Amino acid sequence: MKKVIAVARWEYLEKVRSKAFLIGLFLTPMLMVGMAILPGLFVAQEDHDAKAIGIVDATGAVAEAFARTMGQKYLLANGKPNYVIVPLAVGKGLNLEQEILKANGLVASKQIEGYCLIPPTALKDTVIEYRSSVVGDFRVPLRIQETVKGILTEMRSGIMGVDPALVHRINVPLDVHTVKISKEGEEEDSGFEKVFFSSYIFLMMLFFLIVTSGQLLVRSVIEEKSNRIVEVLVSSCSPTELMAGKVLGLSALGLTQMAFWGVIGLAVSAQFGLNLIDAGQALLLLVYFILGYLFYSAVFIAAGSPLTTEQEAQQVTSYLVMVLILPIVLALPAMKNPDATWLKVLTYIPPLTPTMMALRIPIQMPAAWEILTTVLLMIVSIYLAMVAAGRIFRIAILSTGKTPKIKEILRWVRTS
Amino acid sequence: MNLTVTNLRKDFATVRAVDGVSFDVTPGQILGLLGPNGAGKTTTIRIILHILEADEGNVTYDGSAFSSRVRNLVGYLPEERGLYRKSKVMDTILYFAALRGMGPSHAHVSGQRWLERFSLGDAGGRRIQELSKGNQQKVQFIASVIHDPPLVILDEPFSGLDPMNQIILKDAMQEMKQQGKAVIFSTHQMEQAERLSDTICLINRGKVVLGGSVRDVKQRYGKNSLHVEFDGNGSFLSSLPGVHRAILFERAAELELASGTSVRTLIAAINERVDVRKVEILEPSLQSIFLQIVGDDALADAPVPQAPGGRTA
Repeated sequence: MKKVIAVARWEYLEKVRSKAFLIGLFLTPMLMVGMAILPGLFVAQEDHDAKAIGIVDATGAVAEAFARTMGQKYLLANGKPNYVIVPLAVGKGLNLEQEILKANGLVASKQIEGYCLIPPTALKDTVIEYRSSVVGDFRVPLRIQETVKGILTEMRSGIMGVDPALVHRINVPLDVHTVKISKEGEEEDSGFEKVFFSSYIFLMMLFFLIVTSGQLLVRSVIEEKSNRIVEVLVSSCSPTELMAGKVLGLSALGLTQMAFWGVIGLAVSAQFGLNLIDAGQALLLLVYFILGYLFYSAVFIAAGSPLTTEQEAQQVTSYLVMVLILPIVLALPAMKNPDATWLKVLTYIPPLTPTMMALRIPIQMPAAWEILTTVLLMIVSIYLAMVAAGRIFRIAILSTGKTPKIKEILRWVRTS
Repeated sequence: MNLTVTNLRKDFATVRAVDGVSFDVTPGQILGLLGPNGAGKTTTIRIILHILEADEGNVTYDGSAFSSRVRNLVGYLPEERGLYRKSKVMDTILYFAALRGMGPSHAHVSGQRWLERFSLGDAGGRRIQELSKGNQQKVQFIASVIHDPPLVILDEPFSGLDPMNQIILKDAMQEMKQQGKAVIFSTHQMEQAERLSDTICLINRGKVVLGGSVRDVKQRYGKNSLHVEFDGNGSFLSSLPGVHRAILFERAAELELASGTSVRTLIAAINERVDVRKVEILEPSLQSIFLQIVGDDALADAPVPQAPGGRTA
């Protein structure tokens, strides 16, 4: 046990001081906050200058009202209109093809931001187009939609002989405010963004945690193999002690990282008055984090110790990254339908269990039996993975030169 | 420590790397493990250290089989050098001490003493990669003996060291011998082994071809060597009649004489071509013995040319 601790201490201290670890420690939270906040900032950013928007109106009935409403309704911070509407062609019987060609030229030469195309059939089909070089900014089309809808409604009500004021009163503006109801039936004021944000953050944390320390582990084993330090190590302690020490040291490293991020997370959420997660959930997440961490330590040892070069290590790591990243890809569909069967099925595949749970817990607390089963499943999987990793490690660390074939590695696992 | 190696055998896929190797080392003794590259020295050492398992034979440490206790009693310097490049010198030494069950405060004092002895007294806080190769090797040596083990195994300890540091290392090995440690070192440089070891074990192709105390071995091969020092070009010496084999140095040579050679005639013949400064009839050096054994062995193994008049179409 003394030797296990000596190895653990060494692994921990050497890695905690390494550049790779320090970069991961600071960069990861910055990256996560960046990814979560930056797109929001860009989307929500108000325009500083007025934008020129053209209109090609083949009905001849919309353009004037459009220009008026857009100019009055949407203002810049300085009180001036946000949009300057440029009537490009208005009237019935336009040569649309020709007008579109001209308008496209104006967009291309950046004289206008984009233009609104109202086809002659717009009154019946209620389909219009917004054409622009920038289609990513969804605010402009949204505002155009609102405006043209209002104009068309007014026109139709006129045709049908309904008082426009009445229509205005009937047409209630509506906002949907989402409230999350927990399993216990308690209401919680939680928007989609918050759930998405917290699920996403925990997934990313777990992901980076496992990947950074996994890489550190593989790299150190390869170094020890290539310069034959491993011979001195194995003549000083048994391979089992060596591996146990590595796992222990690495786990301490992981806990350090988690604690550090946890403190940052708390500070950030306190700053912005966010309450991403309650204590119970946090504790449960921590359990899955540790389980996932241990499981992947074994996986990285098993996959990494037979390797002989950095390049191979990168390759193998990238395969494991793909497995780990899967739940991140699934985050959005999972939020739309947290009760889906596929979501539950994936949770019971051990390599995915921790990440799937990190995804599911903030969205909707899984049932107690699910938690119990998955934790037990993980413990059994960790045990089996460690035994297999130990068998591979024992042989692999002393076989230098050629990287063994997978068939050979499987034989190591079966025998001994 | 009393180390007894009995009849070790180890096969790799297609080769028998070690074939019936036996020897023993007692406290206060230096054993030189000799042999050409690929003879099986390193494999033997790895078996002693329990890094490899022998297919046959056994090793006992003070009479008992290998146990985890033994790991703390052995100091090992592997042939291929390497340390954690980015770690600090003293940290590395302390780590290896801890791995062999030595406390940090004790290890620190002893580590510093070793560093000073190798004129690296101020290097403790530096990173390994900042040191020269020779200095890294010294650190590695310190790391392997820091825990004061009763059995020290050094695989090619002199390769890569400059003459100055070779002397320091030799002194250190002599000192360990004086302290009653058993020291095994491997080398393919015969002179070194000759000067340093009490007993030798010469391995070739996995087999022990010569073993025992250096004195006995040399006596066994009798006084049939002529040591000559001269001025001039001695390249003709090997082709002189009566010279079985010549080992040439700058302005000196060791001539292995064929039986019945007249020393007087030979010296006269040599004196005709170069200025002889000194002539001595001595025991053969280990190198000469080595060549006698291994060289003949190699010849015996060479494919026999087909006899004339055989089946040629």
